[in-house]
Amino acid sequence: MNAHQSVNIVMIEDDEGHARLIEKNIRRAGISNDIHHFLDGTSALDYLYNSPDGPAHNGPALILLDLNLPDMSGTDILAKIKGEGPLKRTPVVVLTTTDDKIEIQRCYDLGCNVYITKPVNYESFADAIRQLGLFLSVIQVPGVPES
Amino acid sequence: MATDKTTDKTTIEAQRRFGRTVLLLVILGFAGVLIAGLTAVAVMLRGQEETRWVDHTYQVERQVGMIRLSLEEMRSARRGVALNLANDSGATYPDASSRFFKAIEEVGRLTIDNPVQQRRLSQIRVLGHKLDGLFIASMLSGTSITPQAEAERQDAARSVQQLSDQMLAAERLLMTTRSEAQRRGIATFYIVLAVTGALLIGVAAGSIWIIRRYTEDLRASQDALRELNGNLEGAVLERTTDLQRANEEIQRFAYIVSHDLRSPLVNVMGFTAELDAATKPLSALIDKIEESAPDLLTEAARLAVREDLPESVNFIRSSTQKMDRLINAILRLSREGRRTITPERLDLTALSTSVVDTLRHRIDELGVDVRIAPNMPAIVSDRLALEQIVANLVENAVKYLKPGRPGLVEIGATLVRNRILISIADNGRGIEPRDHERIFDLFRRSGAQDQPGEGIGLAHVRALAYRLGGTIGVESEFEKGATFKVNLPAEYAGERGAAA
Repeated sequence: MNAHQSVNIVMIEDDEGHARLIEKNIRRAGISNDIHHFLDGTSALDYLYNSPDGPAHNGPALILLDLNLPDMSGTDILAKIKGEGPLKRTPVVVLTTTDDKIEIQRCYDLGCNVYITKPVNYESFADAIRQLGLFLSVIQVPGVPES
Repeated sequence: MATDKTTDKTTIEAQRRFGRTVLLLVILGFAGVLIAGLTAVAVMLRGQEETRWVDHTYQVERQVGMIRLSLEEMRSARRGVALNLANDSGATYPDASSRFFKAIEEVGRLTIDNPVQQRRLSQIRVLGHKLDGLFIASMLSGTSITPQAEAERQDAARSVQQLSDQMLAAERLLMTTRSEAQRRGIATFYIVLAVTGALLIGVAAGSIWIIRRYTEDLRASQDALRELNGNLEGAVLERTTDLQRANEEIQRFAYIVSHDLRSPLVNVMGFTAELDAATKPLSALIDKIEESAPDLLTEAARLAVREDLPESVNFIRSSTQKMDRLINAILRLSREGRRTITPERLDLTALSTSVVDTLRHRIDELGVDVRIAPNMPAIVSDRLALEQIVANLVENAVKYLKPGRPGLVEIGATLVRNRILISIADNGRGIEPRDHERIFDLFRRSGAQDQPGEGIGLAHVRALAYRLGGTIGVESEFEKGATFKVNLPAEYAGERGAAA
């Protein structure tokens, strides 16, 4: 555990508007961690696993994941992160428009830590993000295991 | 269809032709048998006739023979007298002569129809009388027999002999002719018999052939029918599969569309909220400027911040909220379509009562009288779907009351063959006839838009009714009330039955 390293937030979200709203609300909740935003799954996975300053090589992270991505399914990314590898203990928050019960169950089965449905009602949306901010402020995020 | 009709017509024509042909053949067969029988009778009668004639010829022959025999007796009796053997022959002569004449008379009777024989017989008769006279004369005289008389006697006897020979020959000839005729008759009979037999065989063979051909036709048409049936089942199955696929596609489409529509809506709502939030510091700023430096504030800026911005934000917000509700409705419909139906035995009275109880608060508030028929028939269907159908319809009935008239809603159900007809009748404001179909479409409503709602309920009810393999319709008179009738199978037959 490395207490000095700050937690990077990796946001995988194809809708820039959503991304902006999420970021705004995170900031309003008083969270000042770095946010790395990716618009598609491929570049996000590349960053997560291969980038020298990415979470696989450098420091703990929290992943915000949208399920509807243009190039791949969010659940595939979730399965890859939560499968065997350096990121399997990294918390993943699924943040998506889908509120289908089966989809939610599937995400939890794959190891998602929190599942949040994006509400159209902005107040509840902001609330959800703020609560997530609170959540972020208290959780301990595991770092990269020392090799 | 056209070919089917033609086939039908051809079949009927063939059947008619078959019937006629068989009838004709049977008639022909019977006619043949009748002809054979009549011929047999005719031939038999003729045979009897022939036999009678042959018998007759024999009788004539015998009588002619008798003439000759008795003539011989007469002669030997005379000779016996001449040789003085009177004691043993004297008495025989009258016997012989009487037999002789009796035989002549007999032959005359038998050959009454034959003038030639009659002529010969009358010659014999004349000769006989002459001979008789000569014999008697010679016997009486005893001794004086002249050679001349002897010669005369000999001549007459020879003539009788010749004549009787001729008669016999004539009779024989007649008999031969008659036998010939008889033989010809029998031959004719055999020919007629053979022809009739051949005819019968022909008729039988023809009948069998026609019957076999007809049976084959029948079998062929049965085969065709069976094949057609199979094809029909296949076609229905294919169509059902197509429908199911189309249905699934529509549901998936609705699901995807509603999800993808939601995503930009989140943005619109979010940034509208941001705009709204931004107007607050702006309006505070305007307030401050108005207070401290009113000359800096233009009327346009003041209106923009105080009225235009909040107004726009409000419209955007209410519209997006409405859009969200619509999208949710589509989503709900598509989800309902994907839900698994679990049929169970349901008591409609109990189900309706529990549904009405959940709406009790609103019903009592509006003072509506809801009457549920007791002892409604049981139905095997999906509980949740049926509850939603009844709830939506009762809710509508309670919602669209006729102002100034106490509400009355009646729920009933009847079993018609294997269908259950649930009717929910109200005395509300009714629906105009032009809207009777329209109200079941999504987002469509009827009458004054004075009640909240999106026009989703009845579309949902119809989707559910279809899902359960049923239909829904409305009977309504404007301003008088409406009766919704849900027609459902008494026993849910599964997805396939519902789709077909």
